[in-house]
Amino acid sequence: MTTTKIREALRQPRQLILFAPYLAGILVLVILPAVSPAYVLGTWTKFVIFALFALGYDLIYGHTGLLSLGHAAYFGAGGYTVAALMLHYNMDSLWVGLPLGILIAALVATIFGFMALRVSGMYFLLVTFALGELLYSVTWNWKWLSTPGMQGISGLPRPDLGIPGFTWNTLSFYYFVLVVFLICFFLVHRIMYSPFGHALRGIRENESRTQSWGYNTWLYKYTAFIITGAFAGVAGVLFVYYNRFISPTHVGVATSFLPMIMVIIGGSGTLLGPIIGAFVIVFVEYFASLFTPERWPLILGAIFVAAIMYARGGINIHLSRLWQRLINRYGSTKG
Amino acid sequence: MEALRVEGLSKDFGGVHALSDVSFSVERGERLAIIGPNGAGKTTLFNLINGQMLPTSGKVFFWGQDITHMHAYSRAHLGQARSFQLISLYLNLSVLDNTLITLHGIKRSRFQMLRPTTAYTDLLAKAREILSPIDLWERRDELVRNLSYGEQRRLEIALTVALEPKLLLLDEPSGGLTSAESSEITDSICKLGRDITVLLVAHDMDLVFGIADRIMVLHYGKVVANGTPEEIRADPRVKEIYMGIEENAGNTTAT
Repeated sequence: MTTTKIREALRQPRQLILFAPYLAGILVLVILPAVSPAYVLGTWTKFVIFALFALGYDLIYGHTGLLSLGHAAYFGAGGYTVAALMLHYNMDSLWVGLPLGILIAALVATIFGFMALRVSGMYFLLVTFALGELLYSVTWNWKWLSTPGMQGISGLPRPDLGIPGFTWNTLSFYYFVLVVFLICFFLVHRIMYSPFGHALRGIRENESRTQSWGYNTWLYKYTAFIITGAFAGVAGVLFVYYNRFISPTHVGVATSFLPMIMVIIGGSGTLLGPIIGAFVIVFVEYFASLFTPERWPLILGAIFVAAIMYARGGINIHLSRLWQRLINRYGSTKG
Repeated sequence: MEALRVEGLSKDFGGVHALSDVSFSVERGERLAIIGPNGAGKTTLFNLINGQMLPTSGKVFFWGQDITHMHAYSRAHLGQARSFQLISLYLNLSVLDNTLITLHGIKRSRFQMLRPTTAYTDLLAKAREILSPIDLWERRDELVRNLSYGEQRRLEIALTVALEPKLLLLDEPSGGLTSAESSEITDSICKLGRDITVLLVAHDMDLVFGIADRIMVLHYGKVVANGTPEEIRADPRVKEIYMGIEENAGNTTAT
């Protein structure tokens, strides 16, 4: 009797406590880069871009349960779209580049997803991988997609926001990326808690049951695939604006692996997991490349193995368990 | 009015005839139990009626409409609901999420991407209506994997019934339950209105004879008998199948 009363009384503050990690995360993302040294700021920007990539990827992997190994294709499609616009048409407006990049990425996902979703499980992974490599070889061989004399498109400017007198610096560019990220985070959050997002998790848990309850599961998987393709496109566009250079490597399997590893390390099927995973990968890569650049793949492999062996379910689960313990302690001292 | 009619339904898996030439019909509001030894083709029959598989030959009619090749999800919208033999609830999702996914399935809101599921207060109220009688409303945030087996079964049945289907397909609703829990399931099925037609597969004879208006016996994919519980009880072929007495092995004393 008394315990339920206490629980009732704690419900409101509890919800605040549950919201606290998000608030803390946003504060960290807003304040910390501003006070960190300029040379680390680029790494923060890269981290936010890849957090966005992983967050979108998790919709298809963590929520729907489909393991795709070709998401660099949509990342690259978005990136190459804005890069080609700048190279061939001198069009560096954000308001043309970003929407077009998202559109092309979603379009590629619409075509590739249609083919890949004819099969399931390991075959789905292989088909997405093969289609990604197909796009990789296109970017490798199609001269139109390269600055003359090299592989890839280089020397790209930052986007034009259309604000007169505005010039970019590293910090303002970081905040621009952060704003796009927060919009995408909000969208993923909404999708995750919507009936659509619930249906995706239903498909992950038991597809034939979800179908017998009236869901056209194929259409759900296809839609989710296109949505993740669009998010990957956003990340690709931002990456080109950040990196000012895109090469076939950014369309290939090495890049496809990144969101997958980030999601697995951070924790799939959660909102914070992909972000934590992206943080670990991007920052460890940064510090590793300071000391032993050539050993980075080895370190990446070691992190991956360690995460699977000692932090199964992802770092996020362990963090939230710790957090839960803190809340419980806080709750019990009140009681 | 016929709720369901099955005509000459056959299903082969490779060379195995799981079902061969099965025909029967079910009247509106009728409770038909399908019994038979393991491997008789009962679950295959359910898969064909509910659309998890397509038949090798034959047709299925639902309220006069040919649904033989219809997708499973479309059949749900026509008013079929099915419980599965093995618990098929979403084990890693909460009780409430399981309930809400079920309720959204036949509503247009199932496509909604940007509105939280919990914003649908009518469905939330409905979820409470479903979960309260089975004592799960207070535990709605619990993951289904943490419920006891009996609770999972009860939830599964409650959710299937909650869709107010025209045709309810129950595959072993009392499998693995204690006799007390099983009779609870029997009661809840008996309480259903007569606008719901029930097709039941079960091994539990108390459940079958407690509910069924008619019983159909399957054996090696064929309909062996189809009649009232009294007729089935008296049928020598059924006794043969269930008691394992062979016709020419008459030396066993039949009691």
